[in-house]
Amino acid sequence: MTPPTPPTPPPPAPSPAAEADKRASFEREALVHLDSLYRVALRLTGNPAEADDLVQETMLKAYRAWHQFERGTNAKGWLLTILRHAFINEYRRRTRHPETVDIDAIEPFSVFEELQDEDPQGTFFDRIVDDEVLRAIDNLPEQFRETVVLSDVEGMSYEDIARVLEVPVGTVKSRLFRARRLLQQKLYDYAVGMGYIKGSAK
Amino acid sequence: MNCRECKEHLYEYLDRELTPAVEQEIRQHLTDCPPCGEQFDFEKLFLGFLRARCRAQGAPADLKRRILDELLDE
Repeated sequence: MTPPTPPTPPPPAPSPAAEADKRASFEREALVHLDSLYRVALRLTGNPAEADDLVQETMLKAYRAWHQFERGTNAKGWLLTILRHAFINEYRRRTRHPETVDIDAIEPFSVFEELQDEDPQGTFFDRIVDDEVLRAIDNLPEQFRETVVLSDVEGMSYEDIARVLEVPVGTVKSRLFRARRLLQQKLYDYAVGMGYIKGSAK
Repeated sequence: MNCRECKEHLYEYLDRELTPAVEQEIRQHLTDCPPCGEQFDFEKLFLGFLRARCRAQGAPADLKRRILDELLDE
């Protein structure tokens, strides 16, 4: 019989000064990304109250794991990865149903080609308000929505997006292409419906 | 570079994801080929429009304070 191992003593409590330092560095390097995190959370959950909870939970998890974050690397990407995992594990079930998309089934539609004669400069975009654009993004399948938000709203590189979404860079490229074309199509249909453009008889 | 090859790189070009050499080839093609130039301009406008329409929104004003309060309890 092996003797029972003595319980490991709890780690010494960090000094108040160390805690204050940790909070200061967290505020400086992580909390500066709050707006980005909130925008992404809002598009993922589709609901301000849930987005608020998701961001709070993400920040709390990040703070607890702050010693694991490698200083000087991409804090925004690290935080978004935590946020996305929390969303998948705890929120997605409650909020939206994950959709699987047959990417190849989406026929890319080029609005530019449709509008070559009528509005090749795309002036009709100016008449579309923020809410309508956000609604169009919210109606994209989830895989497309998250890719477009990280790229077009947050301005992240393909490589950083690939890391957050845990997919190859080639997948980011193809999703972006199709997501943007789908968005254009939705906004084009909306603009035709509103009478901003005549569009072609499809 | 021909039109098809140029269009294949459309978004990578606009997203600044290409090597300087390929970028230069595309820039040259866009100068030489007005139809491709127009299409790239249209897509560039679309991406700028998307960004402008979506970035206005930020976190609620008191969210940061609530998070900081929570961290103090940790």
